[in-house]
Amino acid sequence: MNERESLFRRLSAACAGHDGAAAGEPLPDGAPTAPEGDRVALFAKTFTAAGGVLFRGPVETALSDLGETLRAEGVTSLFFPEGDAAAREIAEALVPFGPFNLTTGAEVRGGSAEVTAGFSSAEAAIAETGTIVETSAGGKTLLPGLIADVHVSIVPAASVVVRMEEALAAFTAYPPRNISFLSGPSKTADIEQTLTVGAHGPKKAIALLLAQDTLSLLPRLEPRVSR
Amino acid sequence: MELDANAFGRSARKALLDKTLQEALGRTTGRFVAHRDAAVAAFPEFEATRERASRIKRDVLDHLDTYLARFIGEAEKRGAIVHVARDPAQAREIAARIARDEGVTLAVKSKSMAAEEISFNEALQGAGVTVVESDLGEFIIQLAGEAPSHIIAPAVHKTREEISRLFERHLGEPRTDSIPELVGMARKHLRAKFLSAGMGVSGGNFLAADTGSVVLVTNEGNGRMGTVLPRVHLAVVGIEKIIPRMADLPTFLRLLPRSTSGQTISSYVSILTGTRRPGDPEGPERMHILLLDCGRSAILEGKYREILKCIRCAACLNACPVYQSVGGHAYGWVYSGPIGAVLTPLLVGLPEAAALPDASTLCGACADVCPVKIPLPDFLLELRSDAREQGLKTPGEIAAMKGYAGVMKRAGLLEAIERIAGVLGQFFTKGKGIGGMPYPFSGWTERRDFPAPAARPFRKRWKIKRGVMR
Repeated sequence: MNERESLFRRLSAACAGHDGAAAGEPLPDGAPTAPEGDRVALFAKTFTAAGGVLFRGPVETALSDLGETLRAEGVTSLFFPEGDAAAREIAEALVPFGPFNLTTGAEVRGGSAEVTAGFSSAEAAIAETGTIVETSAGGKTLLPGLIADVHVSIVPAASVVVRMEEALAAFTAYPPRNISFLSGPSKTADIEQTLTVGAHGPKKAIALLLAQDTLSLLPRLEPRVSR
Repeated sequence: MELDANAFGRSARKALLDKTLQEALGRTTGRFVAHRDAAVAAFPEFEATRERASRIKRDVLDHLDTYLARFIGEAEKRGAIVHVARDPAQAREIAARIARDEGVTLAVKSKSMAAEEISFNEALQGAGVTVVESDLGEFIIQLAGEAPSHIIAPAVHKTREEISRLFERHLGEPRTDSIPELVGMARKHLRAKFLSAGMGVSGGNFLAADTGSVVLVTNEGNGRMGTVLPRVHLAVVGIEKIIPRMADLPTFLRLLPRSTSGQTISSYVSILTGTRRPGDPEGPERMHILLLDCGRSAILEGKYREILKCIRCAACLNACPVYQSVGGHAYGWVYSGPIGAVLTPLLVGLPEAAALPDASTLCGACADVCPVKIPLPDFLLELRSDAREQGLKTPGEIAAMKGYAGVMKRAGLLEAIERIAGVLGQFFTKGKGIGGMPYPFSGWTERRDFPAPAARPFRKRWKIKRGVMR
């Protein structure tokens, strides 16, 4: 008898006599019922509460605010995945706010000295918790939200759901290797219980909330502040 | 981790005299409790969610054989290699073999109590592998060569000055009293490790049976880095961490961060299923899942099975007046606080840890905050009675308890004793309290400060207050 069989023999013995209810008996729903009000407004509130910074409103204003923020953070390099059109479009639109270098990856992974902002399109956002959902489904990379100093998630308003269950439902049948819930910046309180950001992941988590998916106007934007 | 649970009395006294630790504990536990209470108050569905979680976990325990088989099948279908270990020695052997077979020389590890349980690091070091702890708190105590003192905040007993000295000595960093600078030093040092390590080692907060997924909940993002960047991912997890469906995960995610730190959700939740798929730009090529029995199936068979519902939130630690006073090291093993006082004797054997069930005032605060409704005080009491049955109590203690019970059952006798004790107590202690008493009472007084008996006993005051007596 191998170790696995012997474990199952022990478990079956221990479970015997405890099979009153069938496995997976239905349960009362303890999840919050869909909160009232606008799910997008709720997301804005919870994302900010998780330590994130949200830009929304007219694309022009939001982008210019984002550009200023990245400069204030000392960002020198904008990093977007090869296959992420929206991330590329936003990153390119931000170049005039720089000086920023554009990059698609390898040097960022190598741990370059640059201060990087990683751009990626969120697959969903969860209003209940202020969460950005990213996965590896379809060969997507997770690096912009993993190794960059600042992470910028592009969140179409239509992708905001209220509850975690709704965000997970899409993946339960064929889960990809990695489903990530990202809620605010990387945090630690391990030294003297003092909340500090950027333990391992991004020091700043930014969500750019867009009313629509199309960004055709972007390349014509100019920075409001001239230098 | 080396076991020293029966030294609780001695270790507790040492902890009470440790000024740095006392300051840290005062700062920490109170804050955790306040944050937890605020988060629960702001979440009206907490009770319903708690009930739901408790029932899901009970269902899991009732059918652990079925769910575990499902988990293993689904995980293997998606490319994971699943190992099971009966005891810590076997777990160490398997872990070392995995590292050797995968040709690993450097491993980055995120926090895992299960790994602590089996002395994982020693096993890998024995196989020639360098193991770097990547959770900031664990990293600090690894540099210091110590053991964690709190499930969630392992370095809670270290000040920034001590940490800066450690970073100076081990990382060659300049001294600083800035916490963000200290965090930045660790980030830089550990980032290089993440990028060069051959294996990422994690625990697992949950195992979803219907998908074969390992779920990690972290704030720092180290668990995420270590399971995306290195070529091999090894998850070391207890078999009781199963939940039936991925769809059950939100229920537990609504409880765990709120109970732990008062957060609505932790910064990162990673749901990891199998190996990287063809076309994935990153993710491990190999995933090993090491499932630990290590005493759990034996617990499942007995009257303490509900302790296996624990989701390791540490709310019971923070709420416990004993833990608040002595911290984690005094419990002498991996698990501390009320959960440790129950789980340790069950995992290592009651004779090895009989002192722990006594490390409680039975105030019930732990049960009040437990997000999966484990009856911790009942278990503590039951373990004390087991200890007596197994001959682990001294004759003096048994006689004293018998005497105590005899007195408490007779109101008149109790009143008479109270009156005499009131007079004698005031006379002998001058109102200062009772210190060292002779055997057989020394067992009681050497670990407790007992107040002097009141000149006018409580029962008398009560009667006067109600107008029954003058």
